[in-house]
Amino acid sequence: MTADARFDVTTTTTCGYCGVGCRLEAHAVGDHIVAVSPAADGPANKGHTCVKGRFAHQFTRSRDRLTAPLVRENGELRLASWDEALDRITFDLTRIKAEHGPDAIAGLASARATNEDGWAMQRVFRAAIGTNNIDNCSRVCHSPTSYGLRKSVGLSGCSGSFDDIEQSEVLIVIGANPTQAHPVVGARMKQAALNGTKIITVDPRRTELADVGALHCSLRPGTNAAFLNGIAHVLIRDGLVDEAFVRDRVEGFTALADLVQFVTPEVVEEITGVPAADLVQVAHLWGEARTGSIAWGLGVTEQRYGSECVQMICNLALLTGKIGRPGCTLMPLRGQNNVQGVSDIGALPDCYSTYRPVGDESVATLFEATWGVPLRRERGLSLPEMLDAAIAGKLKALWICGYDIGQSDPDTAKVEAALANLELLIVQDIFENETSREAHVMLPAASFLEKTGTFTNAERRIQLVHAAAAPPGAAKTDLEIFQLVSARLGHELPWSGPEDVMLEIGALTPKFAGVTYERIGRGGLQWPVAPDGTDSPRLYEQSFALPGGKAQLAAIPYKPPGDEASERYPLILVTGRRLEHYNVGTMTRRTANLELLPGEWLEIHPDDATAHGVADGQQVEVESRNGRIQVTARLTERIAPGHVFTAFHFPETRTNLLIGQSADINTSCPEYKVVAVSVTPARVGSGAARTHAVVA
Amino acid sequence: MSTPGVKLTMDGAELEVAPGTTLLEAARAAGLWIPTLCFDDRLAPFGACRICLVGVEGAKGPVASCTTEARAGMVVETQHALSRRIARNVVELVLSELPVPPAPHTELAQVAQRLGLDPTAGPAAARWAGVTHEPQLDHRHPYLALQHELCISCGRCVRACDEVQGAFALTAVGRGFHANIAAGLGAGFAESSCVSCGACADTCPTDAISERLLFDLAAAPDHRGAAR
Repeated sequence: MTADARFDVTTTTTCGYCGVGCRLEAHAVGDHIVAVSPAADGPANKGHTCVKGRFAHQFTRSRDRLTAPLVRENGELRLASWDEALDRITFDLTRIKAEHGPDAIAGLASARATNEDGWAMQRVFRAAIGTNNIDNCSRVCHSPTSYGLRKSVGLSGCSGSFDDIEQSEVLIVIGANPTQAHPVVGARMKQAALNGTKIITVDPRRTELADVGALHCSLRPGTNAAFLNGIAHVLIRDGLVDEAFVRDRVEGFTALADLVQFVTPEVVEEITGVPAADLVQVAHLWGEARTGSIAWGLGVTEQRYGSECVQMICNLALLTGKIGRPGCTLMPLRGQNNVQGVSDIGALPDCYSTYRPVGDESVATLFEATWGVPLRRERGLSLPEMLDAAIAGKLKALWICGYDIGQSDPDTAKVEAALANLELLIVQDIFENETSREAHVMLPAASFLEKTGTFTNAERRIQLVHAAAAPPGAAKTDLEIFQLVSARLGHELPWSGPEDVMLEIGALTPKFAGVTYERIGRGGLQWPVAPDGTDSPRLYEQSFALPGGKAQLAAIPYKPPGDEASERYPLILVTGRRLEHYNVGTMTRRTANLELLPGEWLEIHPDDATAHGVADGQQVEVESRNGRIQVTARLTERIAPGHVFTAFHFPETRTNLLIGQSADINTSCPEYKVVAVSVTPARVGSGAARTHAVVA
Repeated sequence: MSTPGVKLTMDGAELEVAPGTTLLEAARAAGLWIPTLCFDDRLAPFGACRICLVGVEGAKGPVASCTTEARAGMVVETQHALSRRIARNVVELVLSELPVPPAPHTELAQVAQRLGLDPTAGPAAARWAGVTHEPQLDHRHPYLALQHELCISCGRCVRACDEVQGAFALTAVGRGFHANIAAGLGAGFAESSCVSCGACADTCPTDAISERLLFDLAAAPDHRGAAR
């Protein structure tokens, strides 16, 4: 990069928005970031970025930033010194631990913070507090992906790289809208389509990629399993299986063949609404192509049988040998910048880093030797279990780092009831948010542009994050905060900075053995990383990471989703994301992205609008079994009749009041994608509310 | 299984490059500088600006290095006198149409400087003084500022929008001196299919498309004080 006289300092770092992991050049004048441009050599973004990464940096300078700790006194949050806030935390945590035991305390690590921050937090909980009650927001997004991939092929991550996109003859995009939610990968997919890659989109909405794709399959929400098993049926029926690959590298073929034998295209049409001929065409496009990849998002995972559907996605790659070679990749599109990493490093109630069970004696003793304290062998509480325990009065303290469960988790009223029942709620964040309404202590943290460490993107690539500006006021990095608290709890975290943390991660994690900041450099490292620094852009070239080295086909039948349309609730609501805003919007709503997209709306098909007496631009009431909200209706033919869509970027919309307790059977990931609702013109004086009384 | 390379001579040195490599790519790989204006690594070669000309033995005249593939036995001269004279004259002509000198950080200013021209001289000092583009500022987008008078019709923004993002929000309009770019056929970025990725501003060699915040900073008398 040539020096540009307009700027004082230019810092190369990694984007803190979505899981694509764009490398950025952040340009500062004085203490402020004034511009961000894409790094030309970014492996995922190749000199490109999106409206969030490039432009949405003004939030760092927002007047709303937390610049000092806050403590609650007489019901109000007031400014406090770090000493006062930390004393209060230490006193209360110590008291609660003495009175109720360490399991009355739980923590939620941030998928927005660095690997080093996450590592520090899980060490505070495991070693300083003495509980495995640590989880992160992958619980509500891609935990089913992690589960499914580990069952089918072995490792919790993309089997290849984004570079496989351009090398794929066929690309199936299921339950994902990358041009909105992962814009740079979306742009790469769109360009691939324009250059000949045949894209098959599978989604209740006609997405932008569908417009450039070979085929769009608009299926009913919650019926992915039928669709996927139907493709397996046609692959087997029409001789499109790679028999040598299945014979040599895969187990479970007979069981799968038996199961899908009767899942004919006609049966699938009945369940999914996708024409039988289209299903056959998808199977043939996929089976006959030399190379092909499958990308999926939360439209697969955030369902009752999401984790099983991930295994069924793996089935399609395994049946046709489309894995472990160029242009053949299983590509989960991870939502947040470091949701891959915070899970990899073990901010999970049941696992140490790289998904090693907390009950594994050899692993636990290794950690005990390094940390110098006894560690628990039994798993801790997952996020939904934490909320239940809080409502039941068993969980007394919750420490939440960079995660607004008050806006993003399902069943908002229940979340609020849980938070209100705590004796100590610590919220460590960059802004006040919906969660912090109940906080007893707020700790001001540094944003991704103000700290150093690493993020791991959706292709398992560990990339460096460098501070491009100083945190505002008295805000500190998450790592510094965890070190301060841990020391007060009597467990020193012996690091002089984030680089030391990564060395500890490497020493305790064989799959990270060769990771150093120097080796990460500008190009990143895709784990597993051997002790000599050799990384793994492509997994499973020779064998799978499962006992015997063989992949596992999953023979699992389709089961109906947790919710379905009824006379009272005739439409199915799907929730999702929009390009201009990011997740709960605390950052993007504090930038000019708000001018580009100032509010929320409900997408509804014109036929449904007519049937329910709704006009374009009208305020409507959306009611589910769980709650009701008001939002503006917009008519569009991009969504199939029978379905409606909205996002959750605006706290005033309170979209997640509508979502109930239905969740993935294996991982408790909430079913955000299938909610039966009614849509009616809004009545005057009727606001957002829970439909029935709060259980607590 | 590597395919045999193509051997050529460039500025007296023997080079071997992969088949399909352009002369510009070969030169860059060898550390040789060839001026460019309409070229961007992220985009397909366009061959429009005629700045990247080089001499090739046996050719009728200078050839555009960005669109010419290396062939076995080629003898290429990147410092070819006629090619450089043409490049300098083209850049001089381009500068003469701008109402103000290009900002020092822009690619146009830097190429002009390196070709031995004074990018700060301004239109009055040009050998071909005459009509310059009327200032026309479009500030309607929250992030992107369009200064149409600085457009040199290199087409980079239009191609970045098409080839990098795929939004197809920008078009080339007009002919000759009136050639320019339009967002959303003139309705502005906000009313177009623009997704605000900023690829156009990133590639623009003159700041005809730039970021509003940077534009405002540059316009402020003490631009350091303006960074709130």
